Amino acid sequence: MKIEILGTGCPKCKATEKIVKKAVEELGIKADIVKVEDLQEIVNRGVMMTPAIVVDGEVKIVGHVPSTDEIKKLLK
Amino acid sequence: MQIIEIFIEGLKALQEYLSAHVLTCLIPAFFIAGAIAVFVSKKSVLKYFGANTKKYISYPVAALSGTILAVCSCTILPLFTSIHKRGAGIGPATAFLFSGPAINILAIVLTAQVLGYDIGLARAVSAVLMAVVIGLLMAFIFRKEEAKKHKDDDKMFAGQTDEEGNKRPIWIALLFFISLVLILVIGAASSSYIPWVPKLAIVYVLTLIVSVILIFYYTRDEVKNWGKETWGLTKKIVPILLIGVFIVGIIGGIAAYFIPGADPTNAIGVAVAPYIGGNDIFSCLLASIIGAILYMPTLLEVAIVGNLFGYSTGLMGGGPALALLLAGPSLSLPSMVVITKVMGWKKAAVYFVLVIIIAALVGFVYGMIAG
Repeated sequence: MKIEILGTGCPKCKATEKIVKKAVEELGIKADIVKVEDLQEIVNRGVMMTPAIVVDGEVKIVGHVPSTDEIKKLLK
Repeated sequence: MQIIEIFIEGLKALQEYLSAHVLTCLIPAFFIAGAIAVFVSKKSVLKYFGANTKKYISYPVAALSGTILAVCSCTILPLFTSIHKRGAGIGPATAFLFSGPAINILAIVLTAQVLGYDIGLARAVSAVLMAVVIGLLMAFIFRKEEAKKHKDDDKMFAGQTDEEGNKRPIWIALLFFISLVLILVIGAASSSYIPWVPKLAIVYVLTLIVSVILIFYYTRDEVKNWGKETWGLTKKIVPILLIGVFIVGIIGGIAAYFIPGADPTNAIGVAVAPYIGGNDIFSCLLASIIGAILYMPTLLEVAIVGNLFGYSTGLMGGGPALALLLAGPSLSLPSMVVITKVMGWKKAAVYFVLVIIIAALVGFVYGMIAG
């Protein structure tokens, strides 16, 4: 599973990254966590509000810092 | 000895911002900003940025949506790029880029409370108008490039956020926000308009209304998110503001030793008054340039204009003060670098010049009217 975190490097995006890592760890699943910081790349995904989370190429969360539970539900 | 005196000047400046009349307006303002971030549907705004939206809709929406969308400065750039490249085009995109940082409810409230209602209102109104004018000018100047672009992605703007449609009746949401704003306005009103006892009673009743709405119409998660967002904003802004105000006081204290005939509360103001004190066009332009270059953390521009440059002590005219407040939040040296990277140097240069000149002109006009 590939999880991408889209964000230009603001505090909210960093918070999102931490939460995703924590959720993945707690679930005990294998996942590649990649950060996408390039603005053009983010826009090309069709995302306007960061932070955003993309799972296996599909945009799942846009524009807010998710809770750990939210991520867990997504990944199951 | 001197060091202690300088330190005390810092504390004095701090005391002014921690006084009751500032806190009574800032605390509700943070709650409102948090509520806007969590409860106002961003989806409903974003759909107006598509390529096929009528211009007379997309410009005003772009100019006003700063209050709703731009809670975090880092969300502005992805949105700007999307609107510019795939949506309504350079005009509304620039209007949004300018208005995002310029019209946030916290800044307007603090300006009105510390510097006066006249300049607070002038700041809010002219920031919106300026956003539209700058957007229109950008669209006009770069009309040829715009015409070449293919625009397709209306869908992208329609289905943007993942928020669930809320099931609340609209009048409940309205009542909720109106109550919050009333708490702010009545709580902050001077006691010469409303005596203390009725004021407390009204605020008490309004708080009850808000609580009842929250209990019956909002889920616990929503209320929790509201609290989280409000606290997050406070944590991000207030410490920097207080440290900044303290430093402003200390700079005044130090400067007082070098500038003859000045005391710590107005030292820098006395020093710069010959250049940016008057309401003439040169002062306004210089103030606008200073505002555009200087990096000022959110809300600190109020202390810089009021205390450092001496608007509050009457050393700086209303014109340059407004010019600085208009150009200040949207531009700074670091943000210029980022904007240049995103827009390309040609468009960026035109944008910077437009902001500086129009802010100076608006300040000049305001200076002539308000004195």
